[in-house]
Amino acid sequence: MMSDHKDSVWVIAEQVRGDIPAVCLEIIGQARKLADDLGVPVEVVLLGNGISDQVDLLFFAGANVVHLGDAPDFEDYQSEIFMESIVSRAKELDPQIMLIGSTFMGRELAPLIAAKLGTGLTAHCIDLVLDEKGVLEQQIPAYGGMMSIICPEKRPQIATIARGVFPMPALDENRSGKILPVEPPQGINIRVQTLEVLHIEPKGVPLESAPVVVAGGSGAGSIEGWQDIEALAETLNAALGSTRPAVDEGWTELDTMIGQSGKMVSPELYIGVGLSGELQHMVGIVGAKVMIAINNDPKAPVFEQVDYGVVEDCRVFVPALVESIKKYKSHAGRAANEV
Amino acid sequence: MLRFVVCVKAVPEPKAAEELKIDPVTKSLARLDIPLVINPLDRNALEVALLIKEQSAAHITVISMGPPPAGDIVKECLALGADNGILLSDPSFAGADAFVTAYTLAKAIEKVAAVDVVLCGRASSDGATEWVGPELAIFLDMPVVTMVREFVESEGTSWKVKADLENGYRLVQVELPAVFTVTQDVNTPHTLSFSGIIKARKKEITTWGLDDLALPAESVGLKGSPTIVSNLTYVESKRECQIIEGTLEEKVDILINKLVEAGVI
Amino acid sequence: MIDFTFTEEQDLFQKAAREFAETKIAPHVPEMEGTGQSWDPVIKELGEAEMMAITIPEEYGGLGLGAVVRLIALEEIARISVATAMMMQVGGLGIDPIINFGSDEQKKKYLPGLASGERFATVAVTEPTGGSDPKNCRTTYKKQNGSYILNGRKCFITNSHIADTQVVLAVDEDNPEAFSTFILELGMDGFKPTHVEHKVGMRGCNTGEIEMNHCEVPTENLLGQEGKGMRVSMVGISETGRGGMVGCALGLHKACLEASVKFANERILYGKPISRLQGQQFKIAEMKIDLEAGRLLGYRAASIQDKGGRAGNEYAVAKYFTTEAAQRAAKMAADIHGGYGCMEEYPVTRYVRDSFVLGPSAGTSDIMKVIVARWALS
Repeated sequence: MMSDHKDSVWVIAEQVRGDIPAVCLEIIGQARKLADDLGVPVEVVLLGNGISDQVDLLFFAGANVVHLGDAPDFEDYQSEIFMESIVSRAKELDPQIMLIGSTFMGRELAPLIAAKLGTGLTAHCIDLVLDEKGVLEQQIPAYGGMMSIICPEKRPQIATIARGVFPMPALDENRSGKILPVEPPQGINIRVQTLEVLHIEPKGVPLESAPVVVAGGSGAGSIEGWQDIEALAETLNAALGSTRPAVDEGWTELDTMIGQSGKMVSPELYIGVGLSGELQHMVGIVGAKVMIAINNDPKAPVFEQVDYGVVEDCRVFVPALVESIKKYKSHAGRAANEV
Repeated sequence: MLRFVVCVKAVPEPKAAEELKIDPVTKSLARLDIPLVINPLDRNALEVALLIKEQSAAHITVISMGPPPAGDIVKECLALGADNGILLSDPSFAGADAFVTAYTLAKAIEKVAAVDVVLCGRASSDGATEWVGPELAIFLDMPVVTMVREFVESEGTSWKVKADLENGYRLVQVELPAVFTVTQDVNTPHTLSFSGIIKARKKEITTWGLDDLALPAESVGLKGSPTIVSNLTYVESKRECQIIEGTLEEKVDILINKLVEAGVI
Repeated sequence: MIDFTFTEEQDLFQKAAREFAETKIAPHVPEMEGTGQSWDPVIKELGEAEMMAITIPEEYGGLGLGAVVRLIALEEIARISVATAMMMQVGGLGIDPIINFGSDEQKKKYLPGLASGERFATVAVTEPTGGSDPKNCRTTYKKQNGSYILNGRKCFITNSHIADTQVVLAVDEDNPEAFSTFILELGMDGFKPTHVEHKVGMRGCNTGEIEMNHCEVPTENLLGQEGKGMRVSMVGISETGRGGMVGCALGLHKACLEASVKFANERILYGKPISRLQGQQFKIAEMKIDLEAGRLLGYRAASIQDKGGRAGNEYAVAKYFTTEAAQRAAKMAADIHGGYGCMEEYPVTRYVRDSFVLGPSAGTSDIMKVIVARWALS
């Protein structure tokens, strides 16, 4: 029985207010591919309270086994309880790979699990492939290139992946699998208690699903320059994105950051303004249809990664562009009215 | 008296570090002379301890793992108000991944005697894994809360903190001793002062190596790291870029046409 | 041999001064430039950051840090705002005579407040008759009923309207060879700042006139010996004053170089940044060479002063060189900016205007040459 489970590919899923976030399903899709290559099952761990109705979705996405913890103790994420449950099950069944979404919960839980199991962990992977020995190559962008990280000896090999890195798998409603219950751990020392969870509904179109994205970088030069870029986004009804330097300058919040350790976007149209095309940012743009860049440095790496480029100082070009778009829209509006 | 340990990392100055790239011709890393600074989020972490020290009795130890130049960063932390510093420096510590960095730091913290609160920045500006804080907690057998944006109140050894979630936050109660990682929203660090620098003259920095921590060489550094870098490749781009030419006005017009074509306007 | 690098601690002072200038002074610069005034918040920041305490001995509440650290601080502050550096440096010029010639009671009375920033100082020597000719000063004093009565006016005095502690030079009404220096306090009867100057540069640095009209000064406010006052006012100027201008000049020069490098790397002409054009590279090289040389001259003089030696001559060389070089650097920076070098929204225009005020302050370039010639010919 236990040997059926050894060396499987695990996904640690989560539930947020009763729903399974897209990132978990995306990762299960990728886990399925890896598991098929390795000839092993995909096993998903899901802890929550009153979430048994979500289990089918996990099978449809590609799981063979769901380790389901469905109890009041698992209602909210609690690091000690969750870690203990996952670690003890993992010690029993010895998976070779464990994948976790780069959610706020995942980013706290993954290292706890890795340290407890004495194994390696890679953050914010952009791709996962198997090398010729069946070892997991965990790829992250670094220094303008792609770095492969492996955990050659320790098991499981653990990696976190952000939403949007892998595509949503096709859901096969004919799939089913085995459910193994997970009981809440007894007698562990609880030293962290969540007293309250406050959910704040985000405003506007979320970056991850926006059809048009305007992203700004350090080339904005100042808060005034940044506001011009915001105006461009507004004029185009686009979602506003940013690079790390713009966040560090304080022009915008961390949650607008697109990139390896930020958000992944796949818009119809992406316009990068005053950003150099750092790989850490560019890997956040997954499958954009048309990409445009505005930058005053003709040697900027961004011009090798987009379809159309404008070599101009964005501080001058963007206001002119916004002005012209407004004029165009008002002419078009008038023309439409005249018809 | 509250005993703090603040873990700080010496990182390349973030703005300058953006320039560090693989040379597309030689395919190797072009080294630049980039000054080292305190990891910005670790500065926020240190400030948490300093603010509490202003109100009540506290002792702050700063600890950093790095080559000898990281000692300057520890000195700066003393000038900012920490009471003493520990530099973990040994050739065998080099090449450490997050796991073994946390392990080595934990061994040093154990040597520091009674500790009530361990503080770190949420992530470093160069590695940015976010792993060291939580892994430290496991090695020290302490609870951890990551992404703390506010220290709300304390009652004896029970602390209440507000930590970020996607779209919102959680209010958490923690029993000390505990590990906290903080975000940049937790405070605005004060600047170095001249009198702080003078006071730092009397403060001590101790350097510990492998022998001081009584660790076997295989458990630290590259040898002790479960993960290693297997490959670093230069990424070729997949798009052919067409540069739009003309005067500024002409370029604006052409671009607007492209946006209309794309159905955006 | 000599180590030309900062110690670890000096590196920290530089870092601290830079952080202070960038976070606390920079936000005030636009308003200072716009109104030509708005110096109050800046003076408050200088006090809070302990900038005025640098050369005051620890026993009087200061930091006891010396000339090199003072130069480091001034350089970093001038890089962000020469006007602020100027107010700070002249504040130091008012503090210096009290440290060097003050009685114990005077030191106890004034220095702690000056160190904490509660008090602010200046020195007032220059008159319409000429700062280059201090012996010709017309402000007089006479002893009357156990105190001194001062009459006269001083012009081009930095911090004239904000300094509550002013070190003033006057000549004996009856003896044109006898000079005395007094500590005047704002609020004394018959002493008031009058006209505020509007300068072409260093806007936001308070410069103006003060008037003494039968100002009654108690004898305990005589600084140093009666009749020997020239030395009291002027010793500070030869080291602290010139050294302070070196700090202002070096900071401005560094700002000019940084702005030029940034602009040259961003400005595209003929399909590449103008920093690739040799003509522009040569300008930048000249700025760099002058800055390297100026820093060495300045810190050499400051080191001599810290070791207890007399550095007036070395400071004269440094003051001449760095203020002249900063003026050249500002012009070159404006040239590199092309048309943008005339546009107020670019800081380089401010650098050009500020550079004009460096020359005549704390001794004109011609006076510096007189001093250096004297040194070379002796």
